[in-house]
Parts: sequence; C-alpha cells; structure tokens
Amino acid sequence: MKPSFLRHGSRSRILAAVILGIAAIFVFRLFYLQVIQHDHYVSLAEEEQVKPYTLPAKRGEIYAMNGNSPVKMVLNETVYTVFVDPANITDSSKVIDIMKKVAGGNVRDGFEELVKKNKTRYQVIANKVTRVQADKIKAAELRGIGFQAVSQRVYPEQTLASQVLGFVDTEGAGKYGLEGFENEALKGTDGRLETVTDVSNIPLTIGNRNIREPAKDGKNIVMSLDRNIQSHTEQALAAGLQRTGATEGSVLVMNPNNGQVLAMANFPTYNPGEYFKVQDAAAFNNGTISDPYEPGSDVKTFTMATGIDKGVVKASDTFNNTDSIKVEDRTIGNATKGKTGVISFQTALTFSLNTGFVTVAQRLGDGKSINRTARETMYEYFHDRFRLGERTGIELSNEARGILISPDDADGNAVRYSNMSFGQGLDATMVQVSGGFSAMINGGTYYKPTIIAGEMVDGEYKKAANVDPLQTGVVAQSTSDQMREMMQTARASSFGRTDKQGYNIGGKTGTSQVIKNGQYSDNETIGTYLGYGGAETPEYVIMVSVSGDKKELQGARDALPIFTDISNWMLDYLKIQPKG
Amino acid sequence: MSHQSTSYYVNRRQQNWSRNQNTTRYVSAIKLGPVAHTVLVALMIIVLGLIYVTQATRTTGYDYEMQKIDSQIADYDQQKSELEIENTRLTALETVKNSSVAKEMTASTDTQYVQQ
Repeated sequence: MKPSFLRHGSRSRILAAVILGIAAIFVFRLFYLQVIQHDHYVSLAEEEQVKPYTLPAKRGEIYAMNGNSPVKMVLNETVYTVFVDPANITDSSKVIDIMKKVAGGNVRDGFEELVKKNKTRYQVIANKVTRVQADKIKAAELRGIGFQAVSQRVYPEQTLASQVLGFVDTEGAGKYGLEGFENEALKGTDGRLETVTDVSNIPLTIGNRNIREPAKDGKNIVMSLDRNIQSHTEQALAAGLQRTGATEGSVLVMNPNNGQVLAMANFPTYNPGEYFKVQDAAAFNNGTISDPYEPGSDVKTFTMATGIDKGVVKASDTFNNTDSIKVEDRTIGNATKGKTGVISFQTALTFSLNTGFVTVAQRLGDGKSINRTARETMYEYFHDRFRLGERTGIELSNEARGILISPDDADGNAVRYSNMSFGQGLDATMVQVSGGFSAMINGGTYYKPTIIAGEMVDGEYKKAANVDPLQTGVVAQSTSDQMREMMQTARASSFGRTDKQGYNIGGKTGTSQVIKNGQYSDNETIGTYLGYGGAETPEYVIMVSVSGDKKELQGARDALPIFTDISNWMLDYLKIQPKG
Repeated sequence: MSHQSTSYYVNRRQQNWSRNQNTTRYVSAIKLGPVAHTVLVALMIIVLGLIYVTQATRTTGYDYEMQKIDSQIADYDQQKSELEIENTRLTALETVKNSSVAKEMTASTDTQYVQQ
C-alpha cells in the first residue's frame, strides 16, 4: 500500500518534499560547518593566509678604545650562500662559467659536479659570497640558482686581541672571550611578524590579527682595551718570544686606578674570522684568565705587603740569611746564593731570596714558626684582600678560579704556607695577581678587573658609570707607599738603566717551576715579571709571562725586557710627564 | 515615448503661482515592476560593493609601496654597513702599518717635556 502522502499528493508535492529535505540537509551542513566548526576553519584559514616571520635582531658590535674614542673591532656583514636546484638548471655550463668568473674564491670544491647532479633538488655551491658578487650572478638571470642571506661576524683587526674577543660559531652563538661571556647581551632579541600575505609572501596590512613585535638589537659594547696598547703589547710579546725561544706567552696591562684592562695579549694566537682553521683549541684560551699557575716570586710582594701592613716587618728590618731555612721537616733554599749574613728585607726582595719571605711568614706568627695565626693572616690577605684563588668576575669566558688552600684544610699546613710566601703551593691567574697587585700599589683600593668601558647607543659613546671599588683599605696607604718604594729600589738596582728617567717604575721578577705529573719539573720554568709605572702615581700595571715546553725561562732575563719595552712605550703613549 | 500632462496634485506653492497659470507637472508613464526594482537594488549593491572593494584594496596597494620602500631601506642599510666594514678594514692597524705612507715614516724618538 502506498504511503498517504503519495496516495493523496501530486508528484510536485513529492518533489517539493525532496527539495525541502535536501535544503534541510544543506542548512544543517552549513550550520555545522559555519557555526559549530567555525573556530576550526578560521584557524585553518589563518594558517593558510597568515605567515609568521622572525625579525632577526642585529648582533651588537664590539668596540675598543683608540685613545679616548671608541673604534669598531667587530662588525656584522651580510653574505650569501649560493645554492642550486640541479633539476631546474637549463644551462649548467653557463652556471659553472659565471660562478667561476664572479665567485671563484668562494665556490665549493667540485661544485661543477654538484651543479650536474640533476636528480637532486638542493646543492650548496658557494659560501660567503658578497652582495656585489651576488648581484652580478643575479644579473646573469640563471635558472635554478638561489641565494640565502647569512649574517657573519667581521674582525677587521684580524688576530688583534683575538682571545679577548672570542668568535661566533656557525649557529650564531658566541664562544670564548667577550663574544662568549656577553652572548646574551650581544645577540639581542628577535622580533616577530605575523601577517596576512599575498601569493608572493608580501605582508599586507589587511586583517585585524597582524602582530608586529620589533627586534631588539644586541648591545654595542665598548671595551676598555685600547687597540694601540694592545697592538704594541702583542708586538712586544712576539718579539720577546722570538728573542727567548719561548713558545707561549701572555701579557696583561691594567689601569690600577679603576681595574680596567688596557691590553691582554696571548701567543699563540688566531684570527677569529677564521676560527675553524685552528688546529689546537688551546689557542682560543685567554692565558691571562684561564691558565692558573704558581705565580712564583711575584707573590713575594704580597707576602711583604702583608708583613708591613701587620706591622711585623719593614724594608729596612734585617734577618740572618743562611741561604736555607727549615720549616718542619723541609729545608727551603734560595735560588740566588751568597747573600748570606744579616741582610735587610729590601735585599731579600731585590735578590728574591726565599728565606726572607719565609721569615716574614714566621713573623706573622710567633716569629719562629708559621703557626695557625700566621697562616690565617696570610690567608686573609692573599684570599680575602688580594683575592687570589677566586674568580675576579671579569666579563670574559672561561675564567679559572685557581687554588688557595685555607689553613682550615688539612693541606693548609706550615710547609704549604712557607711555600706560599714565595709563590709556590698556590695557583692563581694573571688577572687575579694583577688585580691584587693594583690594590697593593694604588693605596689599598681593590677594583674589580673589567674589560668593559661602556656602550654605544645610537652612535654615541656612553661611558659606564664609575664602579665603586670592591674593597678599600686592602692595605694601608703607608704600606702601599713602602711597597712601591721597595719595588722601585729592587728594579733600579739591577734593571733601572733601561727605564726612561724621571718616572717611578717598579716591579718584581718571578721564575716558577712547572708541575709535571705531580712533581716540579727540573727542566721547565715559567718566567714572569709584575710591575707598574707612572710619575707621581702608578698609571699602569703590566704582568708578563713566558713559557715553553722544556724551556727554562727566567723572569729577569726573559720576561722583564718585554715589560720594559711596553712600559717605556706606555709612558709616551699615555703622555705621562716625568716627575718634577 | 509619451508623456501625460496631469494636474492631480497642486501644492500650496503652486497655488501661489498665479502668474504662471501654464505651469504643469509631468509624470512618467513608465512604471517599474518588482523585477526591475530588484535588479536596480542589486545593481546599487554591486556598485556600492565595488566602491568598498576598491577602497579596501587601496591599502593593499600601499602595502606594496611599503614593501618596496622597506626593501630599498634594507638595501641602503646593507650598503652602509658594507662601507663601514670597508672603512674599518682600511683603518685597521695592520692595514695602516702596511700602508706605503707608514713605510715611509721614521721611528719616533723619545718624547721630551719642557719645564715651565
């Protein structure tokens, strides 16, 4: 039996019912798509239409001082990586010909083969092509060739201050030196652009969901390092190494009146723009901050300052030198023999006699032994005041801490402290020693060693605010005055003739034994010289260190002439007028 | 096309036009049906829509202009940065030391200060 609507209705009614049914389906479907699935399709549409872009931040540039004004040491350059889609190349010989003519020095080895690999879709054929080269290649209208812009660091001064600067790796991360330590500040923050684009990916302002967060460029850092001082220091060090046969050396030049580093030279060195060519990664290390060593006789100045400051000794005080002294079960001897008898501590400093400084250490205690009181006093001065065995916090990567054994430690016994009094049994870096030495000679104010002088903002040099000293009263002014006088006398007695007349130049030699396999080596020593210069007040501190595998290098013979060369040049460069 | 002259409506102003006795008002004999009305309304909507689209896409035209200018700025920035690099390379100490001018120079002697 037919349903009632068929029985009673016309065919047009049936058709109407069918159409109505289909319309109802459309309505429900549209309702489902447009209302219920609204958000889903909107997001799909946005994915298609709205493109996210990263607005890359410009890495901050690094400046050095050139006298009183900053000059660029590290910049950014846009270069291009050239790639090909071999399947799309119509004339491979033309591509090869143009690439050889325009970018011959930048093409990859065997790029001709890469161009012909027409079953592949992407081959890099040249790197670091300049914009001018890229424009010439583009002008040839070659099919199947593309360019990718890449930002790279440029170091126009090449090897100058390379260990201070560090480098930026292929991932854009700063490594070593300032590039490594200040990476976060230098790299800045990338911006973000989310916008509707056309088919050619050109951003359009239509739509109300566009996001534009501008990039925040990296900080442009101005180093305290002076490129002229750095250059002369490197030159003097290179000449010194050649003269002495040493294979490694470091020099640090510091302003003792604010802790600013003026130069840091290291050999061997490298070019940060070609860091990938370096065979031995040790070349990346800044020896002045990363290689702690036993400073040797340079530390005698610290022992003497401690004794003077505690009031147990003066330069003119005397002791009986027998060229050896017994500490518990050990006998400590002098490297320079023959200055026996009752001699002054000035003589002990001038001839670097170990016995004199073990005596000072004893006088810090009961006068006969380096007892607990003596050890605690030495530790307080060496560690807490001169800050040996602690990182200085200089803004450079890979600063080492060094080792200074506390009297609370089982190893912090009298023998160790007797050794420490003349520079053995402790490890310190050159920047630690120079920082403490600066406090000793500047009247007793410790400034944190720093490499940063300020920053460039919109092309203008903004000096860093004057930093308060970390500690005042490290030693008394009178101690500082006496120490300078002692070091001037020590230097003048043997080496003063090489100095410019009318200036106060003082210092101390150091010859440190090297520990190899836990034992002091018999055939290898590090030669150092630690000194200062100026007229009425010290204007610079210079520390020199030279070493080499199986080389017996001496402070006086090998390191001191390098100091003298730099010191005499500094007096002219800084335009320091002689006394009187 | 013909016009009918009628005087089915006389307003007060016209009543005052006593001097213009011959004034007449013409009413078109063409009557618009519902289809014509619909077509006209549709046309108006299309025209207004086109005007809207023209105005809306004009901003897109500015976008292309902006893009072109941005690209020029980027080019100039890059050229400036290349010139800066070149300048820095030419004034680098190593370059200066190796320059022909520097090679002609003599070493400086000790600085002497005059006492006043």
